[in-house]
Amino acid sequence: MELEKTWADIISTVEFNHTGELLATGDKGGRVVIFQREQESKNQVHRRGEYNVYSTFQSHEPEFDYLKSLEIEEKINKIRWLPQQNAAYFLLSTNDKTVKLWKVSERDKRPEGYNLKDEEGRLRDPATITTLRVPVLRPMDLMVEATPRRVFANAHTYHINSISVNSDYETYMSADDLRINLWNFEITNQSFNIVDIKPANMEELTEVITAAEFHPHHCNSFVYSSSKGTIRLCDMRASALCDRHSKFFEEPEDPSNRSFFSEIISSISDVKFSHSGRYIMTRDYLTVKVWDLNMENRPIETYQVHDYLRSKLCSLYENDCIFDKFECVWNGSDSVIMTGSYNNFFRMFDRNTKRDVTLEASRENSKPRAILKPRKVCVGGKRRKDEISVDSLDFSKKILHTAWHPSENIIAVAATNNLYIFQDKVN
Amino acid sequence: MEFKLEAHRIVSISLGKIYNSRVQRGGIKLHKNLLVSLVLRSARQVYLSDPCPGLYLAGPAGSPAVPPPQPGEPAAGPPAGWGEPPPPAAGAAWPEIEPQPERPADPATPRAGDAEPGAPMTGAGETVRGGEVEAAEAAWRRVEGPREAAEGGAGGPAGGSDGFPEGLREARRHCGCPPGAADRPGPLGACPRVDCCCAPRPAEDEPPAPPAVGPRKRGAAGVGGGPAPGSSPLKKPRRNSEEQSGGAAEEEEEEEMETGNVANLISIFGSSFSGLLRKSPGGGREEGEGEESGPEAAEPGQICCDKPVLRDINPWSTAIVAF
Repeated sequence: MELEKTWADIISTVEFNHTGELLATGDKGGRVVIFQREQESKNQVHRRGEYNVYSTFQSHEPEFDYLKSLEIEEKINKIRWLPQQNAAYFLLSTNDKTVKLWKVSERDKRPEGYNLKDEEGRLRDPATITTLRVPVLRPMDLMVEATPRRVFANAHTYHINSISVNSDYETYMSADDLRINLWNFEITNQSFNIVDIKPANMEELTEVITAAEFHPHHCNSFVYSSSKGTIRLCDMRASALCDRHSKFFEEPEDPSNRSFFSEIISSISDVKFSHSGRYIMTRDYLTVKVWDLNMENRPIETYQVHDYLRSKLCSLYENDCIFDKFECVWNGSDSVIMTGSYNNFFRMFDRNTKRDVTLEASRENSKPRAILKPRKVCVGGKRRKDEISVDSLDFSKKILHTAWHPSENIIAVAATNNLYIFQDKVN
Repeated sequence: MEFKLEAHRIVSISLGKIYNSRVQRGGIKLHKNLLVSLVLRSARQVYLSDPCPGLYLAGPAGSPAVPPPQPGEPAAGPPAGWGEPPPPAAGAAWPEIEPQPERPADPATPRAGDAEPGAPMTGAGETVRGGEVEAAEAAWRRVEGPREAAEGGAGGPAGGSDGFPEGLREARRHCGCPPGAADRPGPLGACPRVDCCCAPRPAEDEPPAPPAVGPRKRGAAGVGGGPAPGSSPLKKPRRNSEEQSGGAAEEEEEEEMETGNVANLISIFGSSFSGLLRKSPGGGREEGEGEESGPEAAEPGQICCDKPVLRDINPWSTAIVAF
């Protein structure tokens, strides 16, 4: 039975926290749902911890900018976790204009025994109170509450596409189409602009910022990708405004592949540092590329995600699919990379063995303990039994957002409004 | 020919996307519009460089490799792969270098601006209505006399939006001429053969147009009659909105989103091209009154469609209007 899909339930971002214990999702309705991995019990040693809903809260609401007559969507564009420093969890969530810092904490005790109020909560007449009772903490059912601790607003004219927490854990950056701002977590009424590519004359605009991320270890370095398929590495020590890059990564275009849509498909939709900090991975419409930070003139690896779409670009342009922004992720050891495709397919590439696999996130093959069967797209000629032809692909089922557990082989795959969590088979 | 149709189709689709982006929730998405404008520019180049039906060899479907619009070069020839985008001077140089057969020119082909002083496009940001868009899109599939649209006045949205897509009617003529040729003297009556059914009609109520025949004659000056009257109505509302937003924009922290103006786009297509061939940064549009010159000029946040393409589109309108 096909459940009716609500637009607001469409998942727009997925992110594990640094330990992998928590998994956060954001949706188009502005909500954040956090899953927590259940502790492995001693009784069932071989039962891997499953993820259950831990907390749900409304992070952003739709807003209306009266001055500009423009509605601000509540869709959560990105969630990024802060490293855990105490019992509470902290995450950043952002929509197009406003970043918020949320504190997610547990409460399992409550104070009881106040005698200043009666049972209904009304203040008692002071004249009737003869003693002052100190309330005691009594256990209660676990309650997880999320509170907004900081709201970082009014710093972006254009739509925020990325946020990234710095390795110093004191600052983070937010990037929109033309600017990147650096924030201190404690200060909400100011941010530093560190990148500004807005031309003096907007008519001369040729590229926009599409994604940005801090280096995982070097708090002074970050990268940002552009709609022209380039990546710039910047060093904040060099100058206050990092308009001049330290490194510029660009691959020369292959002239034989030129088409009306060359520019669109070269636009980078996501950029991610490897955990090691030595590589960056970029995703454009048809490929995933791995770049070595020490080599700027071309990527060291290029993986075709769904090259069979190259001949269909015009149709994909018409139905807007060509503008889909796929994300990409590294596994914990940087040996495998994963990204999504259409028809609820997602792809994994093993960088060492050079093997790749296509899997599908669907209800049919997602019964618990079921093993995912590799899928194959038939690009021409005879279609084998299990293959699916390009024309049968469902382009409304796209996997844009995926996440990989930081240390284990557990992946989270968002397929429209469904979240699939897959784990490695335990032998 | 195949490429020309393909390019034309892509231009229509692209303009539709830009148009629709105005009503999208969340405001105009700069990135997407930039990409669309790049496609628009590419398609325009192809369209304008494709000389005549039948002169091109078929290429791979979906990604036609067409000769670049090399100035002065005969347009016919086997697909040679993608070429360089035309030099910035191409815009201004159109009248001289255009080797292609003329499109019937109707400089004063009624456009949104021309027809209605209070044309809805003026509201560009504020008065976008879904109906407008629908009307525009519907218009693209109908063949309409420009007169109707123009005078059309069909008051409000219809009039304005009809003006917009006029250049992009998708009527197919059996003579094989590009769409839209038959019905009006307006844009896209790209029919080089004088004897074909797509003979352009003479403009009726419009200011006198340059001679309709004369394939090589595409005079920017000649068709410059239109824009002035056409543009004024559009200019006013833009100024108004600029004033409104100017105050707010003065506050540093309230920077307006830089927005292009789809009304400009419409007027570009709608009007002829005096001033449109300027390639100076502020130019390209007769409303080059500094609308891109910073936040003050921004419309209340509706559109951020200022792209170089809008300047590039001018030669496009030149092409479709000139004759």
